[in-house]
Amino acid sequence: MIKNYLKIAIRNIKRHKMYSFINILGLAIGIACCLLIMLYIQDELSYDRFHKNADRIYRINTDLKFGGSELHTPITSDMMGQLMKQDYSEVEEYTRIYPYGGRKLVKHGEVYNVELRCFHVDTTFFKVFTFPVLYGSTENALVDPRSVILTESTAKKYFGKADIVGKYIETDDNHGTLYKVSAVIKDVPSNSHFRFDFLFSMKDVKYDWGNFISMNFHTYLLLRPGADYKKVDEELVQFNDKYCLPYAKEHLGIKSREEFEKAGNSILNSLIPITKIHMYSKRTQEMSPTGNIQYIYIYSAVALFILLIACINFMNLTTARSANRTREVGIRKVLGTDKQSLISQFLTESTLTAICSVLIALIAVYFMLPSFSKLAGKDLYFSNIVSRQILFIIILLPFIVGLLAGSYPAFYLSKFNPAMIIKGKIHSNYRGSKLRSFLVVFQFATSVILIIGTIIIYRQLNYIQNTNLGYQKDQVLVINDTYALGSGIETFKNEMLQVPGVKSGTITEFLPTPSARNIEVFFKESISVAQNGLTMQRWKIDYDYLKTMGIQLAEGRNFSQDYGDNTSSVILNETAVKKMGYTNPIDNYIYTRNDNNQLTKYKIIGVVKDFHYESFHQDIGPLCLLYGNSMGHVSFNINMASVANILSEAKSKWKSIAQTIPLSYQFMDESFTNMYRSDENTGTSVLTFSILSIFVACMGLFGLAAFLAEQKSKEIGVRKVLGASVLEIVMLLSKEFAWWVLLANIIAWPVAYIIMNNWLQNFAYKTEINWLVFIISGIVTLLIAFTTVSSQTIKAALTNPAKSIRYE
Amino acid sequence: MIKLNNISKYYENKFIKTFVLRNINLEINEGEFISVMGPSGAGKSTLLYIIGMLDTASEGEYYFYDEPVHKMKEKKLTELHKSHIGFVFQQYHLIDELTVLENLETPLLYQKIKTSERKGMVADLLDRFNMVAKKDLFPNQLSGGQQQLVAIARAIITKPKLILADEPTGNLHSGQGKEIMELLKKLNDEGTTIIQVTHSEENAKYGNKIIKLNDGWIEK
Repeated sequence: MIKNYLKIAIRNIKRHKMYSFINILGLAIGIACCLLIMLYIQDELSYDRFHKNADRIYRINTDLKFGGSELHTPITSDMMGQLMKQDYSEVEEYTRIYPYGGRKLVKHGEVYNVELRCFHVDTTFFKVFTFPVLYGSTENALVDPRSVILTESTAKKYFGKADIVGKYIETDDNHGTLYKVSAVIKDVPSNSHFRFDFLFSMKDVKYDWGNFISMNFHTYLLLRPGADYKKVDEELVQFNDKYCLPYAKEHLGIKSREEFEKAGNSILNSLIPITKIHMYSKRTQEMSPTGNIQYIYIYSAVALFILLIACINFMNLTTARSANRTREVGIRKVLGTDKQSLISQFLTESTLTAICSVLIALIAVYFMLPSFSKLAGKDLYFSNIVSRQILFIIILLPFIVGLLAGSYPAFYLSKFNPAMIIKGKIHSNYRGSKLRSFLVVFQFATSVILIIGTIIIYRQLNYIQNTNLGYQKDQVLVINDTYALGSGIETFKNEMLQVPGVKSGTITEFLPTPSARNIEVFFKESISVAQNGLTMQRWKIDYDYLKTMGIQLAEGRNFSQDYGDNTSSVILNETAVKKMGYTNPIDNYIYTRNDNNQLTKYKIIGVVKDFHYESFHQDIGPLCLLYGNSMGHVSFNINMASVANILSEAKSKWKSIAQTIPLSYQFMDESFTNMYRSDENTGTSVLTFSILSIFVACMGLFGLAAFLAEQKSKEIGVRKVLGASVLEIVMLLSKEFAWWVLLANIIAWPVAYIIMNNWLQNFAYKTEINWLVFIISGIVTLLIAFTTVSSQTIKAALTNPAKSIRYE
Repeated sequence: MIKLNNISKYYENKFIKTFVLRNINLEINEGEFISVMGPSGAGKSTLLYIIGMLDTASEGEYYFYDEPVHKMKEKKLTELHKSHIGFVFQQYHLIDELTVLENLETPLLYQKIKTSERKGMVADLLDRFNMVAKKDLFPNQLSGGQQQLVAIARAIITKPKLILADEPTGNLHSGQGKEIMELLKKLNDEGTTIIQVTHSEENAKYGNKIIKLNDGWIEK
């Protein structure tokens, strides 16, 4: 029996090639999108679950409110971990990561490589985290200073093999330091919220240990099995009272917690489960870019909707065409079939089609995965599909879709009285299917939401690109790692200024593009009480910084060689002036504590216009510019026409001073673009998915139009005989589709508005949602729908009426 | 074999009853060959479908081998009709997606007959109707007469006691029609009861009894 069903199903698929094509391909596209998104979501949700004790590891976060500024960081003071372990029985172990050793130059043959992923960690690192060891042992690995652990691929990069325990690597720390390799571990999985290539010992960190108000360490706690982290979390307040307050009283002039909090300040520590960091933490200074649970919801919804659109096509076409199969049903009933056999026949047919789609989708995913991984910025593997949840869905999916799409015709048709069918008294009633109209409206509403979403995302990206940033991001060449030049840095800069096309140059610590920067508390009065404090970023700049970066002065003057007071002067930005409450800031003074805890006085000599030194996701904060020598970057404002020559000059001049260390450079607009990479990727993926969803929806519409034209061929013939023109007939057939699309738009608009308004809240600076966007998406969908349908309606309208009428 | 007592069929539409059959009383014995005649809309086909259990009467009693059909549930009806009754239609009503052989096989599938036995029955029948060469063709590759032959073969493959034929020669030219009628006559001679609906006096003569219907009444 099942063989008979399969045979009929296959012949039906073959015979109605267009409908089968639409059904199978549409569904395949839907399933492929769905699978890709599921792979992405699966990866996002798997972060940090590979640690054996993942459910017992917590990180300590710090939230600081001080002097009108707020700081939300994933870091703590150096003492936090060990004191927690000492005071709380729930804490089994702690470990710290100090990532600010950051960049290291590691010797490879004769030259130095820049290595960005170097951590200093405690010896307890491997007691808390799980990273499998390949060679050596992690037991006492980092107990000795000058020891190092490498990952497998790093070891291979430097030594050509992984079995290198006992060998040495050389860095340029203190002009050449040797580190002994004590172990080689497997590479860090890509779904870890921190990734590293080298682990150095914490003992090699030079630090002012025991400082409770400087925060520089990522501290992780391993709680005992069964311990309640919420309880530990609550008790952290007492911890602050016990240790931090006495320290702050001495060093910050804070008298009591009450006074500190009355002035609107606060310090708060909290625990976050390690498995939640990637999805839920929005803290600055995370060690790798975090995900966003909001995007998981958005992508899940998109996946579900594309799949739904495809299923709806399947259902609509199958039910619409099932009318043509009433005769077959009638005959089968005459021949003695019962309801169950008929139902199973139709379900077999739809399930078979769905299985074809799943197979095609799997092939498509296989080929699309590399480019999708790139777009998503992830290492996704096809083999992940075999993971339990996804495989389960793949196997179940064709049956669910088959049941959904096949059930309506199955139950509907099997109900017919065979006598009526045989006598030809049952005609398919096309208009009668309200369900079908509803489903088409739903499909188009979904597409409209995606179109509006795409337009608004791109408008926002455009807004970011075209808004005046307050500094010049084009034409700025940035040379990195200029520490390597040592005292030759001035010579390098001056020589470069002689190269034709180089307009100006500056030696800087920080660039206007976002990076981790220093924060310091400034006071308006010479008494350093919390009430008049303001936390600001503090950058050291030279005379040419403002000029090179194109930052404009609103008031006052720049630092200059013509005045002798550069080291006791300061330039603020407009936000800082506003927060301090000055109307005439120039020649006023602000104060801060220097390294020896003495108050230092600075005169305000200038105010720069606000510029976007953080991304558009954040408000512009107060900023304080001091004069000072600093190293790190040398930036040049250049004429882009002669960039090739400038770069080759830079390389040769660099080599003559820095010798073995390679030159690394970037253009500032690149790093600017990088900042919005994830927003842009969202844009690209939403664009791709909305094009696909519209495509699939249109395929369905095309099928329905073809079906309608076929059904109405007699009516069209009669109307033509009665003198209707081609245009009138096309309008007659298109009218219904036009109504569907219009209705879909009206439903979609408010929904799209709410979703996109919500998305835009992620930005501190954003575009308006223009009502034109809605009108445009309406017109676009209407045009697309009309074009799709017209190919069929025009064909129907042009058919010779003699043919269609005589056929009966 | 068949006994109809006061069978009526009507359609109700906004409180207006449209009658198709009125007070039909009929008795048909095993081995008879009945021809039902009458103008279009007289209710001939409806009567045939009611007898064939594809349609139900609005009023009255129907006994098939003394069993009360009018009281039966759908499942029992299907069971009874698929084991005892074969149908032949004017439009042949073969399944387009299936070959000749598969069309013949379908009723046997629904009777859950074993593969080996089924293959034998189909082969016998193909042989008997001289259609072995055509067994893998699809209906649209055959002429009308050949299609009707397949339809008759399909109707008798389950060895039914009763064959109901609704204008079996209506779409055929006279030569083919004659062939079909001869075949029905032969089946009747072998013991199968046949009820046919026809417009043709000539075809009606193949039967041993004529029932004339007019506006739902049996004309005496």
